Amino acid sequence: MIGFIAWRLLQAIPLLIGVSLIAFGLMHLAPGGPLAVYTLNPSIQAQDIERVKIIFGLDQPIYVQYLKWASGIFSGNWGYTFFGGRPVLGVILERLPATMLLMGSALSVAIVLGLSIGVLGAVKRYSVFDVLATSGALFALSFPTFWFGLMAIFVFAIQLRWLPSGGMWELGEEGNIISLLQHLVLPTLVLALVITATWSRYSRSAFLEVMQQDYMRTARAKGLPPAARLMRHAFPNAAKPLIALLGVELPFLFSGALVTETIFGWPGMGRLFVDALNMKEYPILMGMMMFTAIFVIIGNLLADLAIAVIDPRVRLR
Amino acid sequence: MNVTAVASESQAGRIWTRFRQHRLALAGGLVVALLLASALFAPLLAPQDPTLLDTALRFRPPFADWALPLGTDELGRDTLSRLLYGGRVSLTVGLVAMVTTVVTGAVIGIAAGFLGGLVDNLLMRFVDTMLCFPQVFLLLVVAAFVPPTLLSISLVIGLTSWMEVSRIVRAEILHLKEQDFVAAARALGASRARIMFRELLPNAAAPILVAATLKVASAVLMESYISYLGYGVQPPLASWGNMLTNAQGYFDTVPWLAILPGAAITLTVMGFNFLGDGLRDALDPRLRMDP
Amino acid sequence: MTIRIPRRGVLAGSATLLAAPAVWGQSINRDRIILAMTQEPVQFNPLLYVNAGTENVPEACMFDALWDVNEKGDFIPNLAAQVPSRQNGGISADGLTWTVNLKRDVKWSDGQPFTAKDVEFTYQTIMNSNVAVRSRSGFDLIKAFRVKDDHTVEMELSRPFVPFLWAWQNMHIVPQHILGREQNIQTAAFNSQPIGTGPYLLRSRTAGSHMVYERNPNYHRGPAKVRQFIHKFVPDQMAAYGQARTGEVDYFALGGVPPDRWTESRAFPDRDFLVYPTPNVQFIYYNCGKPQFADPRVRKALTMATQMQKSIDDIYFGTWPRTLSYLQPTHWAYNRDLRDYTNDAAGAERLLDEAGWRRGPDGIRAKDGVQLKFTMSTTAGNTARQGCQALFQQNWKAIGVEMEIRNMPASVVWGEYTTQSRFDTLLVAWDPTVGLDPDYTARCHSKMIPVKHRQGSNYVQYENAEVDRLLELGVTQTEQADRITTYKQIQAILHEEVPFAAQGGSVQGHLKRKQLQGPTPNQYVTDITWNVQDWHWA
Repeated sequence: MIGFIAWRLLQAIPLLIGVSLIAFGLMHLAPGGPLAVYTLNPSIQAQDIERVKIIFGLDQPIYVQYLKWASGIFSGNWGYTFFGGRPVLGVILERLPATMLLMGSALSVAIVLGLSIGVLGAVKRYSVFDVLATSGALFALSFPTFWFGLMAIFVFAIQLRWLPSGGMWELGEEGNIISLLQHLVLPTLVLALVITATWSRYSRSAFLEVMQQDYMRTARAKGLPPAARLMRHAFPNAAKPLIALLGVELPFLFSGALVTETIFGWPGMGRLFVDALNMKEYPILMGMMMFTAIFVIIGNLLADLAIAVIDPRVRLR
Repeated sequence: MNVTAVASESQAGRIWTRFRQHRLALAGGLVVALLLASALFAPLLAPQDPTLLDTALRFRPPFADWALPLGTDELGRDTLSRLLYGGRVSLTVGLVAMVTTVVTGAVIGIAAGFLGGLVDNLLMRFVDTMLCFPQVFLLLVVAAFVPPTLLSISLVIGLTSWMEVSRIVRAEILHLKEQDFVAAARALGASRARIMFRELLPNAAAPILVAATLKVASAVLMESYISYLGYGVQPPLASWGNMLTNAQGYFDTVPWLAILPGAAITLTVMGFNFLGDGLRDALDPRLRMDP
Repeated sequence: MTIRIPRRGVLAGSATLLAAPAVWGQSINRDRIILAMTQEPVQFNPLLYVNAGTENVPEACMFDALWDVNEKGDFIPNLAAQVPSRQNGGISADGLTWTVNLKRDVKWSDGQPFTAKDVEFTYQTIMNSNVAVRSRSGFDLIKAFRVKDDHTVEMELSRPFVPFLWAWQNMHIVPQHILGREQNIQTAAFNSQPIGTGPYLLRSRTAGSHMVYERNPNYHRGPAKVRQFIHKFVPDQMAAYGQARTGEVDYFALGGVPPDRWTESRAFPDRDFLVYPTPNVQFIYYNCGKPQFADPRVRKALTMATQMQKSIDDIYFGTWPRTLSYLQPTHWAYNRDLRDYTNDAAGAERLLDEAGWRRGPDGIRAKDGVQLKFTMSTTAGNTARQGCQALFQQNWKAIGVEMEIRNMPASVVWGEYTTQSRFDTLLVAWDPTVGLDPDYTARCHSKMIPVKHRQGSNYVQYENAEVDRLLELGVTQTEQADRITTYKQIQAILHEEVPFAAQGGSVQGHLKRKQLQGPTPNQYVTDITWNVQDWHWA
């Protein structure tokens, strides 16, 4: 097991180097340069910009800038923001809890709903429910997330007035769980919709495949009741592809969170990213790209480990 | 020669039979055909020039006036005309992005699968690396730096979404590589390039076609995302994405301005998704997500 | 699916409603003032780059400048005991030596006394080439800076420069005893936990949501009247507007009530609607270095053809005042004698014919092989500006001129594309460069063309010897009446030669509770909390 983990960690290193090269390269190939935003300030003149360039080290050869930045990433110094000189990692981490909460709650809802729909569809294959669920999932996958979010605000916040339209807390109510939950409902629903659809599709096919296996027939022949067959035999076997899906879907979840946070004014990382993009805060943008990539790598690693725990055969590969 | 023709004919027949049984896929195909036709003939169908503005006529509701069947927007432009022309833009982005995706993905997938060894290893690590980034993040960063023209947006979308295609193609090539016809071609002294693009590629067409259809759907969605965040297709060109962005400010007072383009996007994406799903079932039962 | 939520929740939900008919459920909490903006300040060191508008709030709450500008454009002393002038001896007869007496008994929020050393340190930091300060304009004229005693500083200028007052008005003083010890001011912890002399102290900050300030009991102009001040960020303009309507926030300032909601906002019974002029004027920028625009008659004809008033009425819903110069029409130096010659397509055609630009076979005017065809750029995604562009495009098409809209991301369009004068035309909103002084040297003096002289902001490459002379004269005149004459002349020349065509003065609509007293529109500052220490509940 330890060997397996070590081997997978070793594999992550070239991945991280690749990720850092892409993140860094994108920012520095950009036209206008990182200081273009300074020209938006009318009292800044051409000579001021030259000066600022030297201060931020942007006049150095590109590989020197990269090496400085990359070695910082691996040693925990992610650089400082252009505006305000705050440590990038700190700026990202202070947004992490909000995003984790939103992603976590959406993912939980999606897994529970998606799994139930998928299993039910697989068990009652070709029933009316199954057909509706399969086509409904495809329908849900076709919604632009932000449009669905706007519609949800229109219906639930504006017309019906059941729920707040944005934010995370009511002012002065920070720490009030009720207030938090109310604010969480709509963003969670919007983010969970697409994930639920994906999950129901995948879990349906995973279960269909499992149910055709010999051991399921044996279990049935032994006279095990359907619920027990499902719980004891089908779940553990169908879990493997679904856990793998969990890892693979992480980047997608971040993308969805970005859009959802923008619509609902949720103070998480996605909004930080959009704000940083508008401000041309290159250090934050690069840091965010690195952060999400590392997150995805770790997520996939954990998924692989979980699969290995469930199925010892996997380790041999 | 004759034998193969008959064989492929009957195979096409089988595929068509399987596809026809898939009603939703048929409906998807029909929707796609209608959308393509309406985009193609937009100049004939549109009642007005989509950029013609007349602020005296702004915020007309739909179905109130035969001259402006779907009403007007905040600058008094005809919504129906803008939807039709916007469809042109959105579908163009979808198709160009799809071609970019498929070409990039197929070339990389074939190269990796066929050449194997170090090339395969390097290319697949590159794919892994690209897959670590959330697509919207990549897309926005690039879109924020590139002057947004129709072509640049399509390319940006295409170049940030080819990774899955390359994996699918590589897997297919690895499977095909072991087959007899490749060995035969090699024995006949065919060059590597010839084997890759003349022998292997056509045989991997089925999964590529399915992926391509689904990629159009996701590209249309992506265009609307980046337009929503302000980095997409720029006016005066109308796209469904930027129509939605404009509509946002009038969301509570004039909701149909947001509902119509949103519905158009959903319909299009759904059409392509159902079509792709049906094609997958029909072309290659092995690939079915849904056995 | 029904979601059952308790009564409180129903209130919370309706608090953010947009289209709610008068739900004025939320009562006033007189212990605090909640100010909402759409953007979030990210750094609080007043010397570093400031995102004008939103980062002015922490600055105004926690820091003081030597003097402020009130809504009439008059300077009022803050940390200085009085504003230097010829009369009080603060400015020497030759205009070169400025003496500032500082208030005594002012304390930093950590208890240390405020002295002349702090002012000196602030000046040194501004001039320190290792610090990315937002602007040195004005300060680069200081030849010598002397601390006379703990409460007096003396500055010697290299040439008389009347707008020098503006430089210090906009520059808040930072503590020498803290920042003087920092190796690198850019990354100092101070930037997020500042120590100031201002009326409020930062109590807590919730990233992405809001900042809470507590009043400074020792404030030198007397403690603020309300205990707590909350700066809240609501990124969506419509949502922020909704919160101002329902009373979830007491005052919604930037980005302002959307123009199409002004009429409705004015009618709310217990809300005040404030029309807040910004220092920005929106222009069409013509690049005089391009062959199409070299002849001033072409620039004037193009401007004549535009429906400027209509663009304001239809796209900004009539909320912006039409202005004919680079100043807001309410500015003290604005030239009221200018006549609006726009919306005159026939006149424009005559002028173009006269200048020799005749319609070609394709309907587009041309002269000497150059077609009257050009692009217009602005920030991609700004829907109002896109509306204006569409209108101008239509206007110009009618007189045989082809304009192509080519909008780009901010970093591209305002980068070298603008600064190195690569554009054809731009649609852009800018303010005068030295505070709200009418001095416009950086934007239209012939020595200020960056592509030729590596300095300044004359991106249109405008050159006019008479304008140069007047600009140089204006900054040495100390009597306001003289200055008005000079700047009116400059405006008149610019109005005829049109290197940039003014469209309108940008204004914002702010919404506040009637009972909230103090917020006062001030067109001379970008800071809406410029007098935050005086805000209180009636």
